[in-house]
Amino acid sequence: MTESEPAAGGVLPPAVEATGLVKSFGGVRALAGADFAAAAGEVHALVGENGAGKSTLIKILGGRLRPDAGSVRFGGEAIELHGPDQAHLRGAWTVFQELTLLPWMTVAENLLLRHEPRGALGFIHRRRLSRDADAALERLGIRHIDPDALVEDIALAERQIVEIARVVIKNPDILLLDEPTSSLGEHEVAWLFDLIRGLRARGKCVVFTSHRWNEIASIADRITIFRNGADVGTYRGIEESEAVTLMTGQRLDTLFPPLPPLAAATPMLEARDLAGQGIDEVGFTLHRGEILGVGGLTGHGHRELFLTLFGAQRAGRGTIRAGGKALRLRGPRDAIRAGLGIALVPEDRKTEGLLLPMAVRDNLTLAILDRISRLGVVRAGREREMTRQIAQALQIKAPSLLHPAGGLSGGNQQKVLVGRWLLAESRILLLYDVTRGVDIATKHEIYQLMLRLVDEGRAILFYSSDAEELAHLCHRVLVMREGRIAASLARPALSAEAIVAAAVREPLVA
Amino acid sequence: MSPELAAPRRRRSLSVHIVGQNAGLLLVFAMLAAAVALYCLFYWMQQRSFPGNFELTSTVDNTMPLAMAAIGQTIVVLTRGLDLSVGGIIDLTNALAAVHMQDSLGSMLGWTVLVLLAGAALGFLNGLLVGVGRLQPIVVTLATLSIFQGLAIRVLPQPGGAIPPGYTALLVNMNQPWALLYLVLCAGLWLAFRRSAIGVAIIAVGNDEAAARANGINVVRSRVIAYTLSGVFAAAAGLFLAATATAGDATSGNGFTLSSIVAVVLGGVNLFGGRGSAIGAMAGGFVTTMIVNILFFSRIDPLYQSFYEGLFLIIAVVVGGGIGRMLRRRR
Amino acid sequence: MTRHFTRREVLHAGATGMAGAATAWLAPATARAADAPAKKFKIALSNSYIGNKWRIEMENVFKAALEMEPFKSQVEGSWFNSGNDVSKQSQQISNLIAQRVDAIVVNAASPTALNGILGQATSRGILVVSFDNVVTAPTALKVNTDQLEFGRKLAEWLAKKINGTGNIIMVTGVAGTTVDLDRNKGADAVWAKYPGIKVVNRYTGMWDSSTAERNTAALLPSLPKIDGIWCQGGTDGVLKAFINAKRTPLPPTAGEAENGFRKFMIGYMGQKVDGISIGQPPFLSVISLELARRVLAGKYPKKDITIPFPYVTNDTVRPGETVFPQLPDSFFTDFTDGGASPMLKLCVDAALDGKACPGTLSVVLPSA
Repeated sequence: MTESEPAAGGVLPPAVEATGLVKSFGGVRALAGADFAAAAGEVHALVGENGAGKSTLIKILGGRLRPDAGSVRFGGEAIELHGPDQAHLRGAWTVFQELTLLPWMTVAENLLLRHEPRGALGFIHRRRLSRDADAALERLGIRHIDPDALVEDIALAERQIVEIARVVIKNPDILLLDEPTSSLGEHEVAWLFDLIRGLRARGKCVVFTSHRWNEIASIADRITIFRNGADVGTYRGIEESEAVTLMTGQRLDTLFPPLPPLAAATPMLEARDLAGQGIDEVGFTLHRGEILGVGGLTGHGHRELFLTLFGAQRAGRGTIRAGGKALRLRGPRDAIRAGLGIALVPEDRKTEGLLLPMAVRDNLTLAILDRISRLGVVRAGREREMTRQIAQALQIKAPSLLHPAGGLSGGNQQKVLVGRWLLAESRILLLYDVTRGVDIATKHEIYQLMLRLVDEGRAILFYSSDAEELAHLCHRVLVMREGRIAASLARPALSAEAIVAAAVREPLVA
Repeated sequence: MSPELAAPRRRRSLSVHIVGQNAGLLLVFAMLAAAVALYCLFYWMQQRSFPGNFELTSTVDNTMPLAMAAIGQTIVVLTRGLDLSVGGIIDLTNALAAVHMQDSLGSMLGWTVLVLLAGAALGFLNGLLVGVGRLQPIVVTLATLSIFQGLAIRVLPQPGGAIPPGYTALLVNMNQPWALLYLVLCAGLWLAFRRSAIGVAIIAVGNDEAAARANGINVVRSRVIAYTLSGVFAAAAGLFLAATATAGDATSGNGFTLSSIVAVVLGGVNLFGGRGSAIGAMAGGFVTTMIVNILFFSRIDPLYQSFYEGLFLIIAVVVGGGIGRMLRRRR
Repeated sequence: MTRHFTRREVLHAGATGMAGAATAWLAPATARAADAPAKKFKIALSNSYIGNKWRIEMENVFKAALEMEPFKSQVEGSWFNSGNDVSKQSQQISNLIAQRVDAIVVNAASPTALNGILGQATSRGILVVSFDNVVTAPTALKVNTDQLEFGRKLAEWLAKKINGTGNIIMVTGVAGTTVDLDRNKGADAVWAKYPGIKVVNRYTGMWDSSTAERNTAALLPSLPKIDGIWCQGGTDGVLKAFINAKRTPLPPTAGEAENGFRKFMIGYMGQKVDGISIGQPPFLSVISLELARRVLAGKYPKKDITIPFPYVTNDTVRPGETVFPQLPDSFFTDFTDGGASPMLKLCVDAALDGKACPGTLSVVLPSA
């Protein structure tokens, strides 16, 4: 089954082929002699841990980066790509991991950017632009996105769909997708996979990366595994455990560590009848040592709930108690300083938590600067010691603590944020989709970390878009629908299926 | 095989979108209308009559340089930049015109073209430094502002020179508000620009530079063109200023650096780039002139003028942003 | 002319000035019309920049004059500031035209940039009198001092004081203005006559004491012994820089009319300086007002006026009259004519607060 398949072989040359690619950023080597080939009419998955070189490979194939060494061929012809345009000329189009939509332009303008319909004098024809975009979306089965809306005003998942649609309407022969599903819900993933199957049926080549194994297994014809900037091998029908071993270079026992039962029920965070923008009648109790999961479909009030609990969004009604004391949250500052300390680790680390250009150490001590300074001056020795300990405890992988946080992998960035709150002695942690886009090995580390944190007497409220994760990792799971808590699931009734079922049940009648 | 996303169709009419997405533009025109009404009211209370042709003409003539400078500033601000050198370009082009222009049609047309080209060259220099040199726009244009001001003093050490009366009549007829035609022309140029490849590229760069690059847009070229255009419009402002003054002064453009930014902000152009309309900025320029008029006739102490100008600015920005969000909100 | 002072001083002076002005402003138009036996002349002051003490004094004495006879009963006055924004000043003058004033007294943001609109004013029968930063429009009357004479007089005094030999520095004003050019030109003509005088450095003080002090402090270490200072403005700042650099005793100084400089002339900060102090008199606004009133009344020909500079030396400087030890250094001491045959006499209150002085105000214009 696990045939290691070299690129050559068939009569036709591969649709896209890379040989001996080397690429370094500063001193970090992202690709170290990677080979890759994908054929027409196949869906080819690229898997590997974060930092294994998948994104770099896709960027090189898409013409956005130039390799330091190695060559790229399209249909057997060696091409030196100086920009995305040259890749486009060869029929290769890319959906990049970070969104490349222009936020203050409309969906239609983005869809047809640089390919706008022109009027008589060569100027863009606005109405036709809107009509053409509408028709293009319609052809792809997308009806819920308004082509005349600003990208800024549509949801994250919708933006991802527009990003995909924009590339697909160019009729690519080679479609490169970097983490296309990370912000999509199940419906949207199904839609995307239908789209990909359609392209495959028409003999196109689709290359994509994902961290979700069930997705990979359900659609990929072949899988190329990357580790440390090079390909480990290309496989057909490989098992997950085997793939993980190849990716990490070590055996993983089980992904989810066993969850110790909850001992005494000491409430740490209580919400009663909480209402506000996007949420209504939310009530729950989070106990000491508990991991309380929050699940449901994207856009059903999870984000608002977490922001409200963190003081970043005003509650219109209801009470929040921490350690039995009612809180009045006018801003995150109040939450951070509340008796037990409430801390939020958000999904979007780049914009909501970390100061990417600043050193890891500065990011770690941001919330406790007053505690480690004397007369306003940071005591360097103390700062060094505290951050060294926490980095060690959390196994933050960074070249040094003076390295900019932006240079770390996603999982490690999350750890830095967690570290910040641990230093701030926060006892209540709100983890919001922290494992999104994080590779399996790091996920495992984060799970273990979460268990250690609650074992030390903290409490965690944990939102995840991955129902499987919630089912394995939480003592209880609250399923939200339309801003309300639709179900509260506890073991043994707790399972991924139960969470999904509760999330998609017919809308409540008001 | 046709994929299908099982979601309800959500579509608003284009006109609703246009209103929501151009809230800043609509707001500045609402502001302008309110300002004109207020001006007429105060004028009537004092003069027992309404403003007429003279008032309209002098208001338009006096605002033309600012309107021109504001167009150029808009284009640069759209790229998420800032052009502080407009004042210096106005100084220099104003001086050039006053020193060289003679009273013949050939000289007038020739020097108009030369002065606009000079503006383009100065703007191009800014563009090279910002685009190719990857330097901070504020630093670059602050430096070139001083350089251009220095050059202007070299060209015209003492206020003087002369603009032929025919040229004044051509640009700003002092008896009829003909200069309005130039405004209409500029509005048309803007609409064409907004629908051209380079216009879209410039706005895309201001939206998100990395995303624009990923879309194959030539970011450097877009920047260079934006600053060059700003130079051209600053030069046009210098010409209008010389025409209204009928002479040159190598320092009379200095105030336009800040007032063009004020006009741009009042006009609903976002200083973080990517959003806004030069038509709004032109209207913003007229709002500032109307504020001068209102304060004049309302008998508010002149010392408070800058206070009220600041107040108007803050209200415009706060209300503009709020209304825009409100109109576009869908959830 | 552009002299900068601290924000607080400006606000203070402005606020006190406003209080005095408010009554004049808010008096109902009907009452005014009924009280006046004949129609009052509407005369408006259009000033550009108001951000320094000289301009505030200039405006204050204008307001004070309006509250004194004969202006009080004959003139309906108003004043406007536009900042150094030519478009704004042009717009304000448009509004004055719309108001159909009889005369506009203007201190211009630019000597040329207002020519278009001022031409329109005169073509509509409005009298235009420009002063201080005068305009080049041929139809406008001009009231000013002779800036060449300013530079020359300072230079001649200094040359005599140092017996025609020695190192001197020239602290100039705002480049690109006629005033700066003329003052330097007048001085340079004098230096040409004294080969023994060496101008070792020439730099700008921007007519601003703190700028002058900063620039002087930066340059002093590189300069040889200085035997004389010629300074257009910011004189007290230059002297303070000398004291800070321990370049004492202070060399003879020819400078502006800052109170701080004159304090040095009578002894200040442990130093006493030999000096001559000439200033651009803030009462140019009042001379212009008087010229406008007389021309409108048909009692004076339409002609430009050049007034002589009032100046003081160590012999003539008098506390309470031409120097005010209790007032700030930045105050301009030449608000009133301290000369032998004064054109007008004003009190300190007029300069500080825009308050009327006791008695009537008689302004002597050069004979017609």
